[in-house]
Amino acid sequence: MTEEKSILAVFSDLAPAADAIEQLRLLGIHDDCMNVISGIPVTEAMLGRPSQWTNVPRLAMGGAGGGMLLGIFLAFITPNMYTISVGGQPFAPVPPAVVVIFEMTMLGMLLSTFLGVFLDSYFPSYRPMKYVPEISDGKIAILIECPPPDEQKITDLLKKLGAESVKEAEAQHL
Amino acid sequence: MADHKKQNEHTHKSHEEHLREEHLMLDPMPRGAMNEMVMESMHTTSWKFWVVFGILAVVVIYCLFFQWYLLIKGGQGLAGVMRPDYWGIFLVNTVFWIGISHAGTFISAILRVFKAEFRRPFTRAAELMTTFGLVQAGFSIFMHMGRVWLAYWMMPIPNQRGLWPNFHSPLSWDLLAITTYLLSSTMYLFLPLIPDLAMARDKSTGWRKTFYRILALGFRGTEGEWAHLRTALNIFAFAIIPVMFSVHTIVSWDFAMATRPGWSSTIFGPYFIVGALHSGMGAVVMVLAVVRGTMKNMKYFIRPEHFEGIGKLMLIISMTWAYFFFNDYFVQWYGGDKWTKELLHWHEYGPLGWMWFAMLIVNVAIPWATLWNKKWRSTPWLLFVVGLLINVGMWFERYIIVPVSATINRMPFTWRLYEPSIEVPMGIGTLAFFILLYMAASKLVPLIPVWEVQEGQMAHSVRKFGRETVVTVSDLE
Repeated sequence: MTEEKSILAVFSDLAPAADAIEQLRLLGIHDDCMNVISGIPVTEAMLGRPSQWTNVPRLAMGGAGGGMLLGIFLAFITPNMYTISVGGQPFAPVPPAVVVIFEMTMLGMLLSTFLGVFLDSYFPSYRPMKYVPEISDGKIAILIECPPPDEQKITDLLKKLGAESVKEAEAQHL
Repeated sequence: MADHKKQNEHTHKSHEEHLREEHLMLDPMPRGAMNEMVMESMHTTSWKFWVVFGILAVVVIYCLFFQWYLLIKGGQGLAGVMRPDYWGIFLVNTVFWIGISHAGTFISAILRVFKAEFRRPFTRAAELMTTFGLVQAGFSIFMHMGRVWLAYWMMPIPNQRGLWPNFHSPLSWDLLAITTYLLSSTMYLFLPLIPDLAMARDKSTGWRKTFYRILALGFRGTEGEWAHLRTALNIFAFAIIPVMFSVHTIVSWDFAMATRPGWSSTIFGPYFIVGALHSGMGAVVMVLAVVRGTMKNMKYFIRPEHFEGIGKLMLIISMTWAYFFFNDYFVQWYGGDKWTKELLHWHEYGPLGWMWFAMLIVNVAIPWATLWNKKWRSTPWLLFVVGLLINVGMWFERYIIVPVSATINRMPFTWRLYEPSIEVPMGIGTLAFFILLYMAASKLVPLIPVWEVQEGQMAHSVRKFGRETVVTVSDLE
């Protein structure tokens, strides 16, 4: 089994990058073998790329559920764990419980959303990665995984389509 | 005919140039140049900065930490709180700082949800205010607490006897709400900061490189990373708004749940929220004026159009605050309750009556008299002054609500005017600490969210409708 080659093509603009993706697809490069790296959030529709899957909304909902259960525990269960009855007062009243449950639900939701970004993006990651600093200056890079025999063909195509630089991607410390 | 056509073209061009000068979103620069400008603003530090920084550091050490040490050592007797005013400046400052913290969320979340494009360059400056304001609010509560080392008693953990805190108490709700808000606003500050930290990492060397490398978490800007970040920011923008509302509503309930004259009011929740936004927007405009005036390259990013936009919001909020104030006042006045009448008389004609009238002048009269004018509200120094006055006025409002109102109860023999003592330097200490944290952050964190600015610039363009040149915005999301 041959090891895949990584090519990093840097474009100065969005349109040639989108064209390049289209041409690479026609050349037989699967969408899973390409990744676009950019300094601003370029939508999948702009580049003609498939939608990115994200678990963040599901994690947020899960966190909200967990937070709500914690709120219910604090508001309704803890008074029963050491009972102090005060005359004329309900033991576990609902209106104050709404406040506690709301706060814990929101805290659970926002914490899990935050952690969701970490989990889905594999943050923090300080390993060497394929990257060029020009990306933060507004360039758009396409990272392509391809079999070694296709390397030259792809490099020529990308250069023809207006890539500023096409080189073998090397993992480096950011 | 040809001359007429030529003149038309010239007019069209000059109008377009004028639009570009006026609007940051229509005046794009290469991303690399914008990055350089933001990095340069962080790296360029004058001796004046260090002088102010040093003075503030001394003020913080003496007024905040040393006085706090004395308070802990000597006990709450050193403070001016005494029957009937057990709630003094510490709680005034708590409410004040929580109010300041509302501006960040308002600007960043509400304006993001409504896609108000002028927000883009100053969302971070406002978000930083939220986090640093909440730190001061937390400090102020701990000062009020006295035996601060027992603060953990409020945490939802049982004590040695298995007794849990009472979650039916507004003070417990305070802990939950403020903790939720502090954590949420810090996370909401950090998430959109990650791409800018990655930019700073790519542009830095030495210790700064290591610092940004750690904080950027390995962000590269892949499609997946942006998708997760964008989804999270959308969730945050919607979810943090009710959290923001809940925080100041719960703070208002600390007062409104007590059946005291002046405090027991069903309108206190929204009245407090509007008051928080009033002081918060005033503080944002002050910060922006200072950042624009003192930091390098900031005149490109923060322009009169931004002051104009915030000025409009300030005017609307001032009107809303006046509406709630009158609503609260009028219902109490009309009710005719003996003790409430005494309180209202005390507010207006008591020894601090000047404060009550000053509050109305600076919170209502001055904003209305100045902010209606587009030219005036586009003038940074003028908005700084109005913002400062509003903040003084809002502090007065909290002072009137807390210790001045607490004086009048149903036992006239206890009435006594509150005289603050150690609270005054400690309050000054929190203000100095807020400014100090902000100054430090301005040198460590990109104050301008460059990627958001570039995204906005990509979405904006000018288009000609007939002979009129207009600004158009595309929805890129």
